[in-house]
Amino acid sequence: MIDKNILETLVLKLGREAVVSEPEDLLVLGYDSTPGLHHTPDVVIYPTSSEQVQIAMQIARDNKLPITPRGSGTGLSGGSIPIKGGMVICLNKMNQILEIDEENLTATCQAGVVTLDLFNAVAAKGLFYPPDPGSQKISTLGGNVMEDAGGLRGLKYGVTRDYVMALKCVLPDGSLLSTGGKSVKDVAGYAFKDLLVGSEGTLAIITEITVKLIPPPQDKRTFLAYFDDIRIAGTAVSKIIAAKIIPSTMEIMDKATINCVEDYVKIGLPRQMAALLLIEVDGHPAMVAEEATEVERILNDVGAAEVHVAKDAAEAASLAAARRTALSALARVSPTTLLEDATVPRSMLAETFTLIERLTQKYQLTVGTFGHAGDGNLHPTVLCDERNTDEMKRAHAFYDELYEQVLAWGGTVSGEHGIGIAKKDYLARQIGPGGVAVMKRIKQSFDPDGILNPGKIFIANGE
Amino acid sequence: MSKQTSKKEKLGNFTAVDAPEYEAVLQCMRCGFCLPTCPTFMLTGRERSSPRGRVALARAVAEGRLEFTAAVKDEAFFCLDCRACTTSCPSGVRAGEVMEICRSQAQQQTPQGHMGKSIRDFILRRMLPDPALLEKSMLPARLYQRLGIQWLVRHSKALKLGPAWMEKAEGMMPKLDAPLRPQLPELTPAHGEKRGKVGFFLGCIMTLMYPEVSRQTVRVLAHQGFDVITPKETKCCGAPHLNEGDRQTARELARFNLELFLAQDVDYIVTDCAGCGASLKEYEELLAADEDHQRLELFRSKVRDVQEFLFDKGLRTEELLPVKTSVTYHEPCHLCHAQNISNQPRALLKMIPGVELREMNEASWCCGSAATWGLKFSEESKQVLDRKLANVAATNVEHLITANPGCHLQLAWGLKQAGMKQDVLHLMELLGRATPEN
Ligand SMILES: Cc1cc2nc3c(=O)[nH]c(=O)nc-3n(C[C@H](O)[C@H](O)[C@H](O)COP(=O)(O)OP(=O)(O)OC[C@H]3O[C@@H](n4cnc5c(N)ncnc54)[C@H](O)[C@@H]3O)c2cc1C
Ligand code: SF4
Ligand code: SF4
Repeated sequence: MIDKNILETLVLKLGREAVVSEPEDLLVLGYDSTPGLHHTPDVVIYPTSSEQVQIAMQIARDNKLPITPRGSGTGLSGGSIPIKGGMVICLNKMNQILEIDEENLTATCQAGVVTLDLFNAVAAKGLFYPPDPGSQKISTLGGNVMEDAGGLRGLKYGVTRDYVMALKCVLPDGSLLSTGGKSVKDVAGYAFKDLLVGSEGTLAIITEITVKLIPPPQDKRTFLAYFDDIRIAGTAVSKIIAAKIIPSTMEIMDKATINCVEDYVKIGLPRQMAALLLIEVDGHPAMVAEEATEVERILNDVGAAEVHVAKDAAEAASLAAARRTALSALARVSPTTLLEDATVPRSMLAETFTLIERLTQKYQLTVGTFGHAGDGNLHPTVLCDERNTDEMKRAHAFYDELYEQVLAWGGTVSGEHGIGIAKKDYLARQIGPGGVAVMKRIKQSFDPDGILNPGKIFIANGE
Repeated sequence: MSKQTSKKEKLGNFTAVDAPEYEAVLQCMRCGFCLPTCPTFMLTGRERSSPRGRVALARAVAEGRLEFTAAVKDEAFFCLDCRACTTSCPSGVRAGEVMEICRSQAQQQTPQGHMGKSIRDFILRRMLPDPALLEKSMLPARLYQRLGIQWLVRHSKALKLGPAWMEKAEGMMPKLDAPLRPQLPELTPAHGEKRGKVGFFLGCIMTLMYPEVSRQTVRVLAHQGFDVITPKETKCCGAPHLNEGDRQTARELARFNLELFLAQDVDYIVTDCAGCGASLKEYEELLAADEDHQRLELFRSKVRDVQEFLFDKGLRTEELLPVKTSVTYHEPCHLCHAQNISNQPRALLKMIPGVELREMNEASWCCGSAATWGLKFSEESKQVLDRKLANVAATNVEHLITANPGCHLQLAWGLKQAGMKQDVLHLMELLGRATPEN
């Protein structure tokens, strides 16, 4: 329960519209897409400007209220869950695209703009914003920046980080910080912008973002390759990369995922196949033609059961859309879907599939795996029931063992979903106590009172 | 799929009777894919007015973390039950249906004052179930208004808002012809080579407000080679009852219609009202607890929307006369989202000689009618409708085609208010124009 005086101050300074404190509103802002995690905040703020964010931050600072920033709550590591209660600042009404600068090839928008809306707005001007997380219809740019979201096109075009040019943000003491700009080159002092990207809302609240745009590829070709053994699909990915071809997309789905997606989209995916790869090559028409031939040859060489070429742009788009529903579609099977974000060097893909298969048997679980195969970024997803404690224990053991091996192979515990609450323990294993200590010191210098998104990324004393 | 049972254990803070299934709310993985498709979330930007939020509220009630509060009830009634969320949810969650069931909880858990209850009971329990009474004692216009009054009485603070809704209800009324039910023959014989025998389920709003539409539907069906049986006793499908949370009466009506149509010797049960069609197709779940499973399945297997039916059977086009015109198609929620019928009407339109179909943007975006929702939330309804009208305007066609009387009323009213040139036609009316008189 929030103190009545604080509430009145908030309403007075921000206006009634911006402050929400009915229990039902609070209850539904205590989750994101991470299963099993929930904590109800005490008050929720819907700012519409940087100034309002500043005011809310100052009031929170004066009253030592924890603050948790939130975009659309599609995060998969619990980043926007207010585990210490306090104030949630919901950015999704800050959804204005402020400028599309065709001379400098940049776009500037408020942090709450939905990713796909930005994509469409720049596409209407013949420009291209490549980052496209599976959640692009819903997720906000602020959330993307804070998680350094990757996407289906990450393989060739990189992730959100590669497109952020400037940020405007509010620090935990309520002051404003602008960092970066429209200059392509900029080495003036510490690169705050790069530090902020991927900081999961623990250092500052982003209110404005300037991103880089590029010209769209002139041509593209989309394939679906089916496999009767998922390891062959892994080999295909490694072979294509080794042939020095970088497709824009190389996405994988295993049999369980194919079936759940097909249950939803009904576009005739082959249910009996062990795996499929969705591959897209794009660029100059002559290059596309050449690369497409080569990709097709490699797929046939490694032993793909079938290779299908999308007949037009509409079919290609529907295939990509189908892939984007993979995670949510898996949720059909069981009440709880526990998803992980294991990422390995691409040459280890086939081994990783073997490992997942072995662990699935060992812990007697139902697992669906899909992901950005071209980036080595896989999402093995345990389909379980949170009410079954034994099953949950086995699921955790599964991930423990999986990550141990992934780290031994030089992989990472998070390719794109962040550490949040869910993976604090694993982060420490990956970067060691020294790494965690430096991160904590950085956090300390941005947020000396520890009020911004507390309880995330690091294991605090006593946890 | 949330099956309804009348006898079961109490679930958290829901009453035992007509509570949502716990599994149905657990299924939501909170991905948010439904958010941009939900008109009420787009209106308010408030998570609790989104499918994800509504399911979370229902789950909290089911888990005893939240009472069935006034806000939960408000959300249940603020939901349009347009089911756009069902279409967009990869996990198979049916937030609209959960809210529909919560409306019944609202009726059980927050009893209303005497006045409100008696008016509501009169409309839902006496008038709607009795077609003759409907036709005789009530001008159909009054029906709409009474439903509105009943709501106002329940939410007396809304009286302060002034009678805008009443004006709207009045403004929406089409020019009324005599009800169709008494006029339609029990059997309309097939024309030409016979292809089968169908039972026609005539909806209340159709017979009262759009008799011409259903007259054309029957004529088209006959012309397409089907004997059409129209049982005079047909009662309301129960949709308004489900909509208002009176599941008890809905079940009684469902049982009656089920008996009536199973007793006819027909291959299919066809309707031209998307709302009725959706409701008939859901009898299976509504009656699951107390009816014979096989009979429910048999009934369900026969029900078809008329567009769906004609597309499946293959439209006979040899005798169709050209209708030179341009049209755009508005998808009724109860057709595309509740029944998953989306391509069939478009395919039929393309088969009518002379008709040019121009797609509008967001054809499946709700028109904001949603039974009495458009009267209860007239301001919000206007905003939802305006988005639709802008998309219609951009097509610059002559006719706006739809296939549901609720949409028909709302769109016709909106076009008139906006001074737009289009008129609204049910797809069967357009097909009727292309179908020669015998
Ligand atoms: C179906 C599905 C598919 C997905 N696919 C992908 C994928 O392909 N690639 C990928 O990388 N991720 C994916 N995700 C994860 C998720 O969508 C991303 O992490 C996304 O960037 C989160 O955006 P959001 O607006 O929902 O942020 P939220 O979940 O609300 O917040 C994420 C984090 O950012 C912080 N935050 C949000 N806005 C701000 C701000 N303005 N200032 C400061 N901090 C802020 C929050 O505190 C939190 O720590 C997927 C999720 C789902 C449900
Ligand atoms: S209802 Fe479906 S689409 Fe909406 S959040 Fe839940 S799982 Fe996702
Ligand atoms: S039925 Fe319609 S209004 Fe109701 S939650 Fe679903 S999308 Fe929103």
